[in-house]
Amino acid sequence: MKNALILAGLLVLTSLAVFGQGYTTQPTDALVFPVGVAGTVYEDMELGVQGGTLTIATIEDPKGWNDMVAHETSTTAITSRQHRGLVNLDHISGALVPDLAKSWDISDDSLVITFHLREGLMWSDGEPITADDVVFTYNDLLLNLDVDTNARDGQLLPDDTYPVCAKVDDYTVSFTMSVIFRPALNSLSFAIMPEHVLAQYVHKLNPAVPVGTFNEAWTLATPLTDLVGNGPYIVTGYQPNVSITMSRNPYYYGYDPAGTQLPYYDTFVSSIVSNSDVSMLKFRNGEIDVYALRPEDIAILLPEGATKGFQVMISDDPGYGTTWFLINQDIGLADGTEAGKREIYRNVKFREAMALCIDKQTMIDNVFNGLAGPQWSPVSVPSPFYAGRDVYGGPITENSAVIFEYDPAKAAGLLDEIGVIDADGDGWRDLPNGDPLTMEMNSNDNTIRIASCLILQDDWRAIGLNATFQVVDFNTLVDRLFGSTGDLIYLGLTGGDEPNGGSNVYNSCGSLHAYRYSACDEPDEIDLRIDELLGLGAGTFDLDEAFGYYTEYQQLLSAQLGYVYTVVGSFQYAYYNYVGNAFKSSTTSTPSGNNGLLTELVFDKRL
Amino acid sequence: MLTYIIRRTVYMLPLLLVVSLISFTLIKIMPGDYLTSARMNPQVTEETLQAQIQRFGLDRSFIVQYGLWLKNIVQHGDFGTSFDTKMPVYKALFLGNKLGWTVFIALSTLILTYLFAIPIGIYSATHQYKPSDHIITFFGFLGLSIPNFFFALVLLWILVVVFKVGDHGLSVGGVMDLHYYGASFSWGKFVNILWHMWPVWVVIGTSGMAGLIRLMRANLLDTLSLPYVKTARAKGLKERVVVYKHAVRNAINPLVTILGLTLPALVSGSVVVAIVLNLPTVGRSYFSALQRQDEPVIMAGLLFFSLFLLIGNVLADFLLAWVDPRIRYD
Repeated sequence: MKNALILAGLLVLTSLAVFGQGYTTQPTDALVFPVGVAGTVYEDMELGVQGGTLTIATIEDPKGWNDMVAHETSTTAITSRQHRGLVNLDHISGALVPDLAKSWDISDDSLVITFHLREGLMWSDGEPITADDVVFTYNDLLLNLDVDTNARDGQLLPDDTYPVCAKVDDYTVSFTMSVIFRPALNSLSFAIMPEHVLAQYVHKLNPAVPVGTFNEAWTLATPLTDLVGNGPYIVTGYQPNVSITMSRNPYYYGYDPAGTQLPYYDTFVSSIVSNSDVSMLKFRNGEIDVYALRPEDIAILLPEGATKGFQVMISDDPGYGTTWFLINQDIGLADGTEAGKREIYRNVKFREAMALCIDKQTMIDNVFNGLAGPQWSPVSVPSPFYAGRDVYGGPITENSAVIFEYDPAKAAGLLDEIGVIDADGDGWRDLPNGDPLTMEMNSNDNTIRIASCLILQDDWRAIGLNATFQVVDFNTLVDRLFGSTGDLIYLGLTGGDEPNGGSNVYNSCGSLHAYRYSACDEPDEIDLRIDELLGLGAGTFDLDEAFGYYTEYQQLLSAQLGYVYTVVGSFQYAYYNYVGNAFKSSTTSTPSGNNGLLTELVFDKRL
Repeated sequence: MLTYIIRRTVYMLPLLLVVSLISFTLIKIMPGDYLTSARMNPQVTEETLQAQIQRFGLDRSFIVQYGLWLKNIVQHGDFGTSFDTKMPVYKALFLGNKLGWTVFIALSTLILTYLFAIPIGIYSATHQYKPSDHIITFFGFLGLSIPNFFFALVLLWILVVVFKVGDHGLSVGGVMDLHYYGASFSWGKFVNILWHMWPVWVVIGTSGMAGLIRLMRANLLDTLSLPYVKTARAKGLKERVVVYKHAVRNAINPLVTILGLTLPALVSGSVVVAIVLNLPTVGRSYFSALQRQDEPVIMAGLLFFSLFLLIGNVLADFLLAWVDPRIRYD
């Protein structure tokens, strides 16, 4: 009995070490989500109650708990619930909104951004959150070359410098830029880390530890009681290959209008299920509450929903990211071969013929079961800068998009015009010099990409282009992409709201300018204009002005058909009826992350 | 016997060295490396990539990389740090209780497989060409030919869709319900583990069992036709004594040899089943490392599986000596 009492005492102490008591009253500067408030994007949502456990499925184990060195979504899906930044994208509207900062000012010359932090906030262990934490995160972690983070690249200004971060007072920090660069504001959404916990692992602050120690801080082997965050949840349980349990952070600063502290769910469990078929079975078995479904699941889940008490949520809007094939305009350039092919690949009429042959509707119907949309631009469709809108953030009309509707007859005519005809009568079109034209398309072992490529292959063969398709290992594919070898490559890239985020791909000297690397040394007028427009769009805080630059940039790129865009899947998931507010999907998170859920606002209706 | 153990252990070392060299070469021949996916990220600059290449030592020559890896093991017993999880590789492979679960799943499946396979094989041999023998043979071949991952999926589907086990609060996959992890041992936990383990035993067990049944049947049939069995019968011994005391003891030797070889196969060969059935095993850590080309973990994993294979071989030799007094290793 005595031992049991000691054990119970230790457990209480341990839990106190992890979490403080929480706020006794709502902080004055709390972040209030306007749930149910008319005139806001949250107006049709319900006020919830605290309690319960939400279980979702995730496909992989995280690689650590350290958000700063996280490189992939299985980790950031977890750490993004544990850490928040100065600003964030609104879950529903996608607009940039205050988060840890309550507001920001931009100086008259647009070179200084000053953030005003919410006052009186605490880390999950009860220590205050101040400007020192922001300065530590930026100067000692993000800009520290010893720290293995990809977030640093997002801060780089066009003149290869970084904004200078300085503390103004305990609750004010400023970022001074050498050139005007609007995307810098978005990239200041990086997670703020607790200085009082992590400074000890940084060599420049604590020379007693070796260089690079921070990269090995907060690994999966770290005791979970060491983790401290400012997000809605903190990791409190981890079973490798089984599950991650996150518990409510008593010091999270989000509240609903009724004064209830968020998040509503006490516990957020991510069940690690590596096989998607098993994930679906677990959802149907009632083991997981929300499931990010695949197109092929719709036919099974839709009829079952009414009897089992779940809903299938299908969003009409395509998600972020781009899917494309590229025609390698530098083929054979390195070894001086394939001159005939290279010449024809560089002819925009040939690329247009290839684009006109894409039967996107068949792809959408057969591959995505109708749950996808066509894509015409390098900018993701949900972005407010997408050229298919008439104004910044306006509805999608596709008026300004450069569209290549399915027209095989016109494609055949273009090929005839440039001399790509069947010269030897074997049924396949040849190069203008009479050599046979055979093209191999490659993609990796991904069922949706394979099905899409087979449709493309059939479309091209129908007008006499001898195209074949071959699945190759992903790494081989990437090697071919960077080595500028191979004919056609079918792949996809991630995307976001800010078009400048793709400058590494579309700038003529970008490391992913894979359709024509030679453009860096021999840029044509269009390449130079694209480079210029990317800079102009990022160099103004006037969003309408930026929209104008970015629209021209998208039109030029789309017409050039370096990357030829195909279709992108829309967003869908299924949830049990007892999960409140799940009907509203987040536009800023991916199915692999939070299953589209508004993490803070979903609640258990049964309570 | 002691000399034999020492000799076998010493032989293991050069063998493991060769295995490591071949493995390292294969990893390097594979297209791409750990940073390939980072290259496809539009947000990652060339400078960051180069810094990471240097940090992971991927810019060094093959020989230097291998030499450093070997030197660290010999000098410091350091198998390296996982590129992916930044943990020492032994933690990346075994974190949680993965080694424990791996050994438990492998051994329990092995024991159950033999417990069922030997009697069924004997029954099948002693009832040759009778309907029951044909039925056993049919199911044996069925078990042998169904891919394990598919069988596992079908089994889960039957439980969820046909038997609707969720309506009774039962979950599928894994080794126990989520809330039992970390909970102290109880009767409820024990029953829950049994509920989760039986599909594992059925899926992994049946594929191995089918082969063993066929082997036991064939061996016993061969033995039963030998002259000494006829002599035993002619002496008027009961059929039970002839079969179990004289024939089975001789027919079982090849199965004992296979016992040692089956153990490593169960550890490394059930990766796909572990993924489908959500089992926390070392194989899954290894598979994940393979997918992400996390070289230090792949190398350590290969050595671990090789060691298991060698131990399995030695174990088979010992067991054979134990069941067959004619065999001596000195």
